[in-house]
Amino acid sequence: MSGKIFVAHDALSGLLDDLSKKFKVWIPQMMDQASGHIAFGVYAPGKKPELTRRSRLSPKKILFPSMDTLFKFTYVKDPKDPVRYTIDLKESFDNGPTLVFGARPCDTRGFQTFDQVFLKGQYKDVYYERRRQNTLFATLVCQDSDTACFCSSVGSGPADMTGSDMAVIPIEGGYVIEGLTDAGRKLVETSGSAPSPEQAAAAEQMKRNTAALKIGEDDLTGYADDLTRRFTDMDFWREQVSPCITCGVCTWVCPTCYCFSITDEASGMSGERMRSWDSCMFYLYTLEARGHNPRPTKMERYRNRVGHKFSYFPKKYDGMVSCCGCGRCIRTCPVSIDIRKVVKELKETADDRA
Amino acid sequence: MDDKTNALREHVKGIFSNLELVLGWEPGYDPLHTRPFYVRTESDIDRLTANCLSFQNLTRYLAKSMNAVDPAADGRKIGVCVKGCDSRSLVALIQEKFVSRDRVYVIGLPCRGTLDARRIRALVPDPARIRSVNAEGDELVVETDRGISRFALDRAIARKCLQCRYPNPVIHDVLIGDPVTPRLKIDAENPSVAAVEALSLEDRLLFWENQLDRCIRCFACRNACPLCVCQNHCIMETRMPKWITQYRNMNEKFMFHMIHALHLAGRCTECGECERVCPVGIPVALIKEKINAIIYEMLDYESGIDPEAVPPLLTFSPKETGI
Ligand code: SF4
Ligand code: SF4
Ligand code: SF4
Ligand code: SF4
Repeated sequence: MSGKIFVAHDALSGLLDDLSKKFKVWIPQMMDQASGHIAFGVYAPGKKPELTRRSRLSPKKILFPSMDTLFKFTYVKDPKDPVRYTIDLKESFDNGPTLVFGARPCDTRGFQTFDQVFLKGQYKDVYYERRRQNTLFATLVCQDSDTACFCSSVGSGPADMTGSDMAVIPIEGGYVIEGLTDAGRKLVETSGSAPSPEQAAAAEQMKRNTAALKIGEDDLTGYADDLTRRFTDMDFWREQVSPCITCGVCTWVCPTCYCFSITDEASGMSGERMRSWDSCMFYLYTLEARGHNPRPTKMERYRNRVGHKFSYFPKKYDGMVSCCGCGRCIRTCPVSIDIRKVVKELKETADDRA
Repeated sequence: MDDKTNALREHVKGIFSNLELVLGWEPGYDPLHTRPFYVRTESDIDRLTANCLSFQNLTRYLAKSMNAVDPAADGRKIGVCVKGCDSRSLVALIQEKFVSRDRVYVIGLPCRGTLDARRIRALVPDPARIRSVNAEGDELVVETDRGISRFALDRAIARKCLQCRYPNPVIHDVLIGDPVTPRLKIDAENPSVAAVEALSLEDRLLFWENQLDRCIRCFACRNACPLCVCQNHCIMETRMPKWITQYRNMNEKFMFHMIHALHLAGRCTECGECERVCPVGIPVALIKEKINAIIYEMLDYESGIDPEAVPPLLTFSPKETGI
């Protein structure tokens, strides 16, 4: 077989029904009609994937939940000597076979950043690793972009299938789904029937056309040293960041922001150690025990956000920018701070700005 | 708000030498977005805009990002642009001594309503590249790469604006443009609150559970609010004492929203910022509106109107009855 199937629009729910018997299937879906809120949710028969409008929240939580129990603990008293106790620990994993259907290329590619940090370093994050290994991505070849998208500016593009197991290619009447990895091909081949030669050709054409699109005006890679040069130019940061309300929305919606906090949530003798999302835009994020804060204002905090993605990360990981260009932070920032503009202006000199 | 950009720029040019800076708005990354703008130099003035996209309530910067209490050494003031609702927040901040009246130069902008970017996105083919947004009479004309959409302006303006009772700044040093007629009378019932109250108790609980379920605990609602002034001491974040766990469950979310609302009781000026900034579209201002309605009924008090008044929950009077 060709490793490809055709799924007509009206057969999509049937396919998802079948897949959801084997996988926990996540799809972008309309969560609230009134505010047009789209986010990734678990598929259940009757739910419709939202493949034409963008999701406001990224699929990050699928591999990196906003709250994740690392283990459970109970203090067990020694009945003979009640001041002594032992600690009973229980592993906690929630990682069955999972499929993400209908993420966009930027969404899927966002996990490349996680992979570098959570899998490829000296220490592996077992929680992330197990989920990662058990999750397949069927990614939509992205046909449209809005004014905040800039995937091509960060070394990617609307047909970039990095990290995807399957490509979902929209054509007249439905989708051609193409297996890209062994696991993806295997799943595709057991999930439907091959496209007609015309359909296969239309899908190829669609992929080519999409790959030729350039989404985003400027190349935003290669700014690592400009950030360093600008580091202490507080006038620059003041100009860029004054409107920021340090709400952290940019970090919550971002598919590549991976900062977290660890807390023990206990009551009485038992509880859980929990990892939850944290945000570098918060004052408490860098507050040190003795009261010193190396990033006391929003200027240092936003500088860190940009620096991390466009300078420190690429310096450490072979030039890879840890921003996938999804534009979510731009779309949802309450004061319309535009990370593209900030990065671009890193290069300008003081004279350009006068 | 009608376009007052030119009149605003002219006015600011005339007075800028007496001011330290002016808080205004400038165009954002596309024609549907605007960002707050600190006018620091003469040459910045031509970036200022004031129109129906001037969403943000700039008074939050006075309370949270700068010192607007102590006079400047050279006596220069901070200029701040306010719509009707924003001016009420300013009054509340003056009452609570977060801002001194004589530290600010208040540029009032009578307002016919600000647009709701989310509602507009739902009305035009999306995803679309927005090229221009123009109000023409009672109609909004949005041009995108997929053509031109026209719809009634009322379908595109913010919920708070549809029920606005104070479109004209309640305090100002100058007013740019003519006063406009309020949509609702001062003592009119809040229609959004009435709509939720019409639901049965079970449905009301379901409504809020459905809404708050989406909350991601980002706290944008808190940070945008001009009157949510605890900043880094908010119970949601402090570890000592630890009031709230890091669980993203309904209990914790509910707790947060009730605390936010109760701390704003009789203080919230219904500027709608908390609701506008919410990334997941929860109508959080509605909770505060309900509490305001209770305060109005019980204590006959409305926030942010009289700079000399003391908000009822910030004082105590033995004469208070009915509580
Ligand atoms: S979303 Fe915007 S206002 Fe909020 S922290 Fe990020 S940059 Fe600042
Ligand atoms: S920084 Fe912004 S554009 Fe880049 S990946 Fe994060 S949310 Fe997307
Ligand atoms: S609670 Fe919401 S509506 Fe009330 S003053 Fe604060 S931001 Fe404005
Ligand atoms: S802004 Fe919205 S999502 Fe964020 S904490 Fe407030 S209600 Fe929750």
